[in-house]
Amino acid sequence: MAKGIPYNIALKHYRAQAERPMPQTDFGEELLRQYHPDYLRERCVDLTVGPNAGDPCHRQLAEVLQGDARIDEADLAGSPEVETDVLVIGGGGAGCAAALEASLAGAKVILATKLRLGDSNTVMAEGGIQASVEKDDTPQQHYEDTVKGAHGELDRSLAAQMVMDAPEVIRWLIQQGMQFELDQYGDLMTRRAGGTSAPRVLYFRDYTGLEMMRVLREAVFNSNIEVWDYSPAVELLSDESGHCAGAVVSSLKDYKYILVKARSVIIATGGIGRMHLNDFPTSNHFGATGDGLVLAYRAGARLRDLDIFQYHPSGLAYPPHLAGTLITEGVRSAGAYLLNAAGERFIDELKPRDYVAAAIIRECAEGRGVYAGDGQGRPSVAGGRTPGATDGKCGVWLDTPSIELRQPGIIEKRFPKLLHLGTKCGIDPRKQPPLIYPTLHYQNGGAIIDREAASTVPGLFCAGEVCGGVHGRNRLMGNSLLDIIVFGRRAGQAAAKRAHGFGRGPKKITIEHLRNFRRELMLANMPLARKSPLLFPAYAKFDVDSDYDGLRKTAAAGFIND
Amino acid sequence: MTKAKTTANLNQVLLNPACRVGADFDAWMGYVGGQGLEKALEDPAAVIQMAKEADLRGLGGSGFPTWFKWNAIANQDAYRDVGEGRERGAVSLAERDKYLICNGNEDEPGTFKDRVLMKECPHQLIEGATITAVACGINKIVFYINPHLTACIEAMGRAVEQWQASRWPSRVAEKTGLKIEYCVKPSSGHYIGGEETAAIESVEGKFPFPRGKPPYPSDFGVHGYPTLINNMETLSNVPHLVRNGVEWFRNLGIGNATGTKIYCLSGDVLRPGVFELPMGTPLNELVNNHGGGLLVGKKLKAVFTGGPSNTILTPKDIDVPMDFESVAARRSALGTGAMIVVSQGTGIVKKVAEYISFFAASSCGQCPSCKTGTYYMSLLLNRIGTGQGTRADLDSLINLCKILPGSGRCHLINGAVKVLDSSLYHFMNEYEQSLLKVEG
Repeated sequence: MAKGIPYNIALKHYRAQAERPMPQTDFGEELLRQYHPDYLRERCVDLTVGPNAGDPCHRQLAEVLQGDARIDEADLAGSPEVETDVLVIGGGGAGCAAALEASLAGAKVILATKLRLGDSNTVMAEGGIQASVEKDDTPQQHYEDTVKGAHGELDRSLAAQMVMDAPEVIRWLIQQGMQFELDQYGDLMTRRAGGTSAPRVLYFRDYTGLEMMRVLREAVFNSNIEVWDYSPAVELLSDESGHCAGAVVSSLKDYKYILVKARSVIIATGGIGRMHLNDFPTSNHFGATGDGLVLAYRAGARLRDLDIFQYHPSGLAYPPHLAGTLITEGVRSAGAYLLNAAGERFIDELKPRDYVAAAIIRECAEGRGVYAGDGQGRPSVAGGRTPGATDGKCGVWLDTPSIELRQPGIIEKRFPKLLHLGTKCGIDPRKQPPLIYPTLHYQNGGAIIDREAASTVPGLFCAGEVCGGVHGRNRLMGNSLLDIIVFGRRAGQAAAKRAHGFGRGPKKITIEHLRNFRRELMLANMPLARKSPLLFPAYAKFDVDSDYDGLRKTAAAGFIND
Repeated sequence: MTKAKTTANLNQVLLNPACRVGADFDAWMGYVGGQGLEKALEDPAAVIQMAKEADLRGLGGSGFPTWFKWNAIANQDAYRDVGEGRERGAVSLAERDKYLICNGNEDEPGTFKDRVLMKECPHQLIEGATITAVACGINKIVFYINPHLTACIEAMGRAVEQWQASRWPSRVAEKTGLKIEYCVKPSSGHYIGGEETAAIESVEGKFPFPRGKPPYPSDFGVHGYPTLINNMETLSNVPHLVRNGVEWFRNLGIGNATGTKIYCLSGDVLRPGVFELPMGTPLNELVNNHGGGLLVGKKLKAVFTGGPSNTILTPKDIDVPMDFESVAARRSALGTGAMIVVSQGTGIVKKVAEYISFFAASSCGQCPSCKTGTYYMSLLLNRIGTGQGTRADLDSLINLCKILPGSGRCHLINGAVKVLDSSLYHFMNEYEQSLLKVEG
């Protein structure tokens, strides 16, 4: 791979400029095929066991999906049993929305989260949330944009449900206390997302997700939902007919397993960024290790689109220790250009994310990027090296000074988080452009759900990033925050409804499905060495990283990451 | 590994692919159908003698010599039901009723052999029942089938229709004077309905409460008539035994054992399923050769033989030949031939708690000791299994094991105690580990 122009030289030649011409070339699908990491077919394998046997899947994801469970029946000896109506696994936006709705419907709800409530990708979402609330906008247009951005490969009924619920979701969020940017008349302000036909993204500064999580967290704490922190689910439980009947939750605080017998289970565990697919850096939070996919898959839920991921175009590329940190698409939608080392624009910045990301990868691959490394590279987090992935030191400019030139003061007012990020990098984004490179951002595939967020396993509901089919091949900005609330709420309602109609609940709770899965693995001659779900990234070091005593002890006892 | 030998031994007779034709009368007749019955019609009296010499056992779990039951029925004078009492009377052959209940109530955890026989070889079964009827002078045959096994009821229903439309009923009537009536009767679906006397109650249309014994079913069965109850597997053996003779049957078994047995292998093995093997096949061979060994390379921890109502076998007994006498010699019982294999990865307390909960839910509730005994055992076990039990709870369990056996009309309470007692004997350390840790 060509290295590109060294950072210092490129920076010396960089001049802030209010207007630059739009590049005339249109590359279309060919650009994706050549440069988008999803199209690296050698990174794909076919699954051999489980409900999706025969489907293509990313190699790293296939390893954990077809891994052995972390627990055995003997590990559960003496484990206490807790009974509840609804168990929500995951404490992000979707999990909280689901728990709130289920609790509102009168169900007893336990919310178990791997880290702390709100420690999730929801707080990482910066750009905003889409909803067709403008006068000249319609859900139909929103739907068409979503389908187009998804390259048509989505579950249309889910997308339709999402766009139809969107205005109601905004109303609900405002009722919960969420703030949005308002204009001088008190109307909701909107901006355009990449790949959309109308300004439709509602936002609050550049930390919309954080604001959303703030109100959801407060709402959860003000309800009678029982919240279990530091309690990752390590396995689902099934009843005698193979329906989902709860989960085994590992309590990291007191180093034991708890069997939660639930009438319905909602998985809202989010994505897989921390698996660092294709050795990409990630914008995801620490817990995004794809646990929910593994649990659901073993329990027999069908998944889809396991080879399709979203790489966000603007992840920080330099300095290396912050590589992958997200810079909101809002900056581009406010008019910031993407410039290569020669100071030229090379793509329409508001094209869908996959095109923009592929274009950045192309610029770097063809030597027009800015190179900030020492030429040595660094060993990647996932252990291997992939063509196309960088060592986190090559990138292109995100031309933030230009928007400041056009609208002085805009960065301070609308992108405070970017300013803060700038201080961490030692630059002032008003004067000096940050160096960016695509970052592993979102898992487009996941569990197949219906409009009520029910998976293919009775009793198991999925909501949020763990689901597939809502965004197809490519997600639009602002649709993920919408997705988690729409399907989170629907999952909560449906789960509570199922719990009410269930009589005395599941008769017996077992991990029988695990035995069948292991049998399949052995018959297919699969190695059983790999344990999943991962729970924490391989590089997690609880002895130094965590401020939490219990995590250190459990790690030392080999309870996690063994 | 003696691969070739084991494959040759597998599914020789009852589950022979040629037998597994479903409800297809012509296919069964085209194979060996009718040969056994024809032979039995020639000399009905010899059939019981053959069963005796061949040492045919009750394969539903008891291992009771089949000829003994048959003999009791065959020697039964006719009874007439007169009001409340019974009266010995001279009734002509045509008038007297004797019942055969073919027990397919199969509901024991880990047992799933009869459903294969009923679904895949119904004619083999009907012919076996008919031969038995001919030998014992029985004129009413009831196929008593668990209603959850819908496919079996459907297959048996069709097979019975085909059988009735064939030439055989008239041929039997002509030879022996017996007008045999067949009937497929779905049972209540309760576990207890598989008990002999409970089955009789159920056939009479009542709730399957087991009766006190004596009188035995051979004296006083369905509506007071002499009644024979045999397991589906036992009856399926009969056509082949009569057709091929005693010598052939005795040679099928290994050692002193005779015939074949259908073993139901389940649990932590790679290939669970039904395997018809020579009676007396070592457990080792079943688990490792036919079952493909244990899952995930784990070590064997225990085997629940004959479903959960028997004692546990531990790895040192893995070489036991699986026939009634050899297994009994290791303080266990062959039972229905169910072998539930558990590996090192399984918690015994939870497993036993699961089984005892099954018994507690299955107790018919007529004997107080069983009703409350199973309930308390399951309560205590669940408490210990979830880490909430104290030393006193464990002591109570041990006490219950001493006082409960034999306190019920049927064997349900004995079975429940047997598995618990045996698990306490072998795995006391696990129970102790699961107890609530008291600080300090």
